[in-house]
Amino acid sequence: MPLEILGPLVVFGILFVAVLLHLLGYSRRVNLRDEAQARAAWVREFPDTKVLQVAMAGNGRAALVMSSAGAGIVWAFGADTVARRLSPKARLHGDHIALRFPDYGTGQLRIPLPPETVAQWRDLLHEGEQ
Amino acid sequence: MDGLVSFPDVVSWAVPLFLAAILAELVWIHLSGRGGRYETRDAVTSLIMGAGSVASGIILGFVAWGFFMVLWRITPLDLGLSWPVIVICFILDDLRYYWVHRFGHRIRWVWASHVNHHSSQHYNLTTALRQTWTGTFTFMMVIRAPLILLGFHPAMVLFVGGLNLIYQFWIHTEAIGKMPRWFEAVMNTPSHHRVHHGRNARYLDCNYAGVLIIWDKMFGTFVPEQEDEKVDYGLVHNIGTFNPLRVAFHEWLSIARDMSQRGLTLRERLMYAIAPPGWSHDGSRKASEALKAAHLEQHPEKAGTPGFD
Repeated sequence: MPLEILGPLVVFGILFVAVLLHLLGYSRRVNLRDEAQARAAWVREFPDTKVLQVAMAGNGRAALVMSSAGAGIVWAFGADTVARRLSPKARLHGDHIALRFPDYGTGQLRIPLPPETVAQWRDLLHEGEQ
Repeated sequence: MDGLVSFPDVVSWAVPLFLAAILAELVWIHLSGRGGRYETRDAVTSLIMGAGSVASGIILGFVAWGFFMVLWRITPLDLGLSWPVIVICFILDDLRYYWVHRFGHRIRWVWASHVNHHSSQHYNLTTALRQTWTGTFTFMMVIRAPLILLGFHPAMVLFVGGLNLIYQFWIHTEAIGKMPRWFEAVMNTPSHHRVHHGRNARYLDCNYAGVLIIWDKMFGTFVPEQEDEKVDYGLVHNIGTFNPLRVAFHEWLSIARDMSQRGLTLRERLMYAIAPPGWSHDGSRKASEALKAAHLEQHPEKAGTPGFD
């Protein structure tokens, strides 16, 4: 197929699919509602570990997980979840947690946290450091 | 025969078909409420990866083509362009695909290129188009060398490879359950390929087929889809990005980081590139065999069942 036809077909095809998906409601982020959901998401990623404690972010975006392998985080990623272990250096920054992961497949993560969550997460991260 | 033989670029001609099928699948899922899942950013990432793969083929295709034409000049054999020869070439190329795909899961250097195809947690027709941008750098074009040395023209070899890729498009769907038994026995199907995209311990490293599932059955890598174990799609450690650049290059950068760690022997550095994904010099990570063994420790009742035998 000539490039002058293929190029626009691909560009407008992708745009059309993107707009259609959005209008049909497929851009909604998964809502991390409860501890059971966060535990399941953690164990799905790290099946060999035991979950000791879960602290929900309170906004459906993430959960802090204290596990037998140390502290970790589960967060909403599109319609799904991703989980990562946290470095002992992980810290809260005011009203959000900002993380830089060593794997290029994740990169940086910044999750805003409700005020009531900040203190709880700060304490848990501090305990995990002990 | 000279080098001016040409075959149609079937993959680019199939693009309208791909888009129409994606729309049909999306409408079906939306209206019926079953048959798979879609997510906007995931699907757009997959489509951009597909477009980028075509672009990389246009930009870097000369490397493989030049290599093939050198082989074509060397070989004294020429099987011609008849239909029976094309059919034989298609079947042998499908065997070639099986091994390239198997290497793609068992050699990290090749996995670095292929991993992006498995990086979606979704399984729909857009996932089929989540293709590599870096295939040239795996040097897997050498696996096609025997075909050309046997007398199959390079243009024909690329043509049947394109047909193979087009066949694999429709099997990336949850909207189709099982095909008729005879078809499932011989051909790669949505059911067989769903298993291949599974991150469940049972489903790791199996069903590498392109068109004919018989290769997996011949070489002992076939695992049928289990009714009591739903496929969990994605990677053992899923990526957390929709950025196409990160999707395309993340494993290459991980290899570079691992190989450049301090204090490693030369062998250990090399193993980070050529050992199976999950290999580590200190045993801190798990390759698929270790993941299966760990799963069996928690679920000993599964020992001896498909994927654990």
